[in-house]
Amino acid sequence: MAALRDGDFAALQILLKAPSKDAVRQLCQEGFSSPPAALGPLAQRAGPGLAVSAEEAEQLVSALHNLTRHVVYRGLTRAEDILCLFPENFHQNLKNLLTKIILENISAWRNEAQASQISLPRLVDMDWRVDIKTSSDSIVRMAVPTCLLQLKIQEDAALCGNNPVVSALTVELSKETLDTMLEGLGRIRDQLSAVANK
Amino acid sequence: MGLLNFTREPVPEAVGADMHNLNQLSAQQFSALTEVLFRFLTEPKEVERFLTQLSDFATMNKISLGPLKNIVKSILLVPNGALKRNLSSEQVRADFIALGLSEEKASYFAEQWKVNSPTLTRLAVGQTLMINQLIDMEWKFGVTAGSSELEKVGSIFLQLKLVIKKGSQLENVYVELTLPQFYSFLHEMERVKTSLESFS
Repeated sequence: MAALRDGDFAALQILLKAPSKDAVRQLCQEGFSSPPAALGPLAQRAGPGLAVSAEEAEQLVSALHNLTRHVVYRGLTRAEDILCLFPENFHQNLKNLLTKIILENISAWRNEAQASQISLPRLVDMDWRVDIKTSSDSIVRMAVPTCLLQLKIQEDAALCGNNPVVSALTVELSKETLDTMLEGLGRIRDQLSAVANK
Repeated sequence: MGLLNFTREPVPEAVGADMHNLNQLSAQQFSALTEVLFRFLTEPKEVERFLTQLSDFATMNKISLGPLKNIVKSILLVPNGALKRNLSSEQVRADFIALGLSEEKASYFAEQWKVNSPTLTRLAVGQTLMINQLIDMEWKFGVTAGSSELEKVGSIFLQLKLVIKKGSQLENVYVELTLPQFYSFLHEMERVKTSLESFS
């Protein structure tokens, strides 16, 4: 998370040189979504379009990142709250444009932040199948049902960048194990509904 | 010797002689020996205890331990084969008679077999191969209060720790689920349970 710095608003005024409102919109979205490490390349792509030096482009992109992330962090949803962030002498039209763009994107950005937050490995998919064991080396004839459960687990997105590692884990459950597991899951459901009903 | 139920292979020569020796035991002695045998079969890990009980039996009845062990080895051939092939008590009785055991003792053993076979079958099924068996599941759920990206969050998370037996080692797997995923998982597991029950 980046905090707003003094030089940020000065850098934002560079946007006055942008060719169109859509260009500003595009830059805001990319500025929010790029992690800090990717801001350099973004600045390099944006610089020529704005006819500014590499250094100025970097400051701008960094400022956009900080501003958008700050708004998402604080959970600001009203135009007045966002407008308050800008200093007094900030260009009026640009201020309104930026506020409008931010408001358009705020809920998508919030979801993006929540989806990419750190967590334990996440369950992405599950499949199951039921087999009947008919024979083994210890008993020649039997009819024992058993369940195979496959869980697809994705490692922490932040660690993997754009190539999330998904591993598949196949687990075997006997009927007794399944019953115990369902008991546990049922208890979780009951506790969840108790919390929800409070 | 006619066709046996408990095995397709020819039986070792010594078995006939061992059965003959068994016939010499009194009904009481045979019943005590049978009890020791079944206790071992239902708890196969208690090898020490089994050997101690055998040696006590040998001392009490003035039989030498060596021959007794051979007799026991011969007797155990039948229940082990019978378990594999899901034999009925009549078939077990018929096999013992075919091997040379007296009718009275064969019937007694077959009765004990009938009584113990549910436990023994369950044990044999339990020994059947399981891949990545789920041993234990621990869980916790809570609320994410905030993060470095969002000051106030308030979303519910559920974390599961699955303990899995891989070969002879235990491995812990940690997974996090969102609330909708949890309900979907619960729903699927209930479907599995219905499916398993319809096949039991």
